[in-house]
Amino acid sequence: MTSRSMHAAALALAPSMAPPVAEPKLKVRDLKFHYDGFHALKNIRMDIAEHQVTAIIGPSGCGKSTLLRTFNRIYAIYPGLKASGSIELDGENVLDPRYSLNRLRSKVGMVFQKPVPFPMTIFENVAYGIRHHERLSKAEMETRVEQALRRAALWDEVKDKLKHNALGLSGGQQQRLCIARAIALKPEVLLLDEPTSALDPIATGRIEQLIEELKSQFTIVIVTHNMQQAARVSDQTAFMYLGELVEFGATERIFTKPSRKQTEDYITGRFG
Amino acid sequence: MDTLYLRRRLANALALILSSAATLLGLAFLAWILWATLRQGIAALDLKLFTRITADGEQGGLANAMVGSLIINLIGIAIATPIGVLAGTWLAEYARRTRLGETIRFLNDILLSAPSIVMGLFVYTIIVLPSTALTHGNTSFSGFAGGVALALIALPVIVRTTDEMLRLVPSTLREAALSLGVPQWKLTSQILLRAARSGIVTGVLLALARISGETAPLLFTAFGNNFMTLDPLDKMSSLPQVIYQYANDPGEAMHAMAWAGAFVVTLFVLLLSLASRLLFARKVSHD
Repeated sequence: MTSRSMHAAALALAPSMAPPVAEPKLKVRDLKFHYDGFHALKNIRMDIAEHQVTAIIGPSGCGKSTLLRTFNRIYAIYPGLKASGSIELDGENVLDPRYSLNRLRSKVGMVFQKPVPFPMTIFENVAYGIRHHERLSKAEMETRVEQALRRAALWDEVKDKLKHNALGLSGGQQQRLCIARAIALKPEVLLLDEPTSALDPIATGRIEQLIEELKSQFTIVIVTHNMQQAARVSDQTAFMYLGELVEFGATERIFTKPSRKQTEDYITGRFG
Repeated sequence: MDTLYLRRRLANALALILSSAATLLGLAFLAWILWATLRQGIAALDLKLFTRITADGEQGGLANAMVGSLIINLIGIAIATPIGVLAGTWLAEYARRTRLGETIRFLNDILLSAPSIVMGLFVYTIIVLPSTALTHGNTSFSGFAGGVALALIALPVIVRTTDEMLRLVPSTLREAALSLGVPQWKLTSQILLRAARSGIVTGVLLALARISGETAPLLFTAFGNNFMTLDPLDKMSSLPQVIYQYANDPGEAMHAMAWAGAFVVTLFVLLLSLASRLLFARKVSHD
């Protein structure tokens, strides 16, 4: 064994020191995004590690939500929006039109800024997506729904009113229901688009705690306006400005020793 | 400073007085109409109105016209609702921001304000005349033709409300469903139409209220019939058309019956509007 490979082995044994050595879950290369002649994302290059929480921060209009919305191609429902470059999920380019949307969206779940329960019962909200992708017996479905609601830390609050309309839940509960609905499909990646910006501090705290719990099962990418939130929940942080990825690295480093002036100005509150 | 403040207060008071007066003027006429209908209508209400037919003249009632109105309106709404809801859904969900969609929405708005007598003549041409020719005169005017004419009036109302109610559904709901991999048709039929349901039902009820007072489109289509009939291929009587006929009659008893008919129609429309209000209010408080 050469001294070099021994060094590498030693690094691998010290997990707190090592950078993510495994293949990234999502590999973004040369990603560009256009709409109405506006260049919203410029040559984004980014590796998102599996089972980690990656936060995307930056001022309004910097492209952070746009970037998130390319990961499951949800942008494609609006005409005139165009992404080029590649986003590889486990080595396959999801931007390729041959990558089926059905498959992509069963692997990449999403939770939005405002809680949007479907106009149906709590149970049906969670079962709805599952039913589209899988045929389950009644008992299997009940187990599956319970499991999703438990993981979303909502089960104890709703177990006696599964047949009630989901619109009767509080905002924080509705958002956890949306998380349950997304994870019920057993996705591999979970995209969170400012999931707490419409919630009060207590509900926000519960969601953040939940994110911490969920990262053992999912790769999580969260867009947030709130820098403290990014610092609290994420392992990696990406700072974006004017459609460019300015800086990307371990959250602790970004918030303590940013290497770019723009990042420092933003996190110290000088602009944004 | 003080004079400027005073001027603003005066301008405010003046604007308030003028707009209140305008509102009161409008409401006064409405109250007058309702009061007149109520007073004259209730005075003329009696049991034979609901049990006897127009063939009995002054000793008769409006039973055949009420049954006719019910059948014709139901035919109208039964034809207009599925077409209207589907067309409105297409406009809101599939043709949004397309040139074709905008054109059709514009044409629908024109149809919305088309004179109702034109609808009657149109149906006379496409249904009454051909059916006369085909059946050698056995079938000509009919309750069905009347229903089609009313459907043409209800249709743009339903298209418009469906379109608007679906466009009120937040786009985040669409994104949320599509992000689960659900296809567009499932999203539309199982989530969006459900979310907009009470608004759409309200639109249908309002369309029903609108057509139940129509007279002109029925003159050339259902024609009228002094006897009771349940056959939609027969000539059929309707309340608005009998009211029109009786109001033109010199006899006092006929006038009284016209008032009673007007009262029944007004009450029906009022109840429908009330029902749609309640339905919509319940939906809004749920959100």
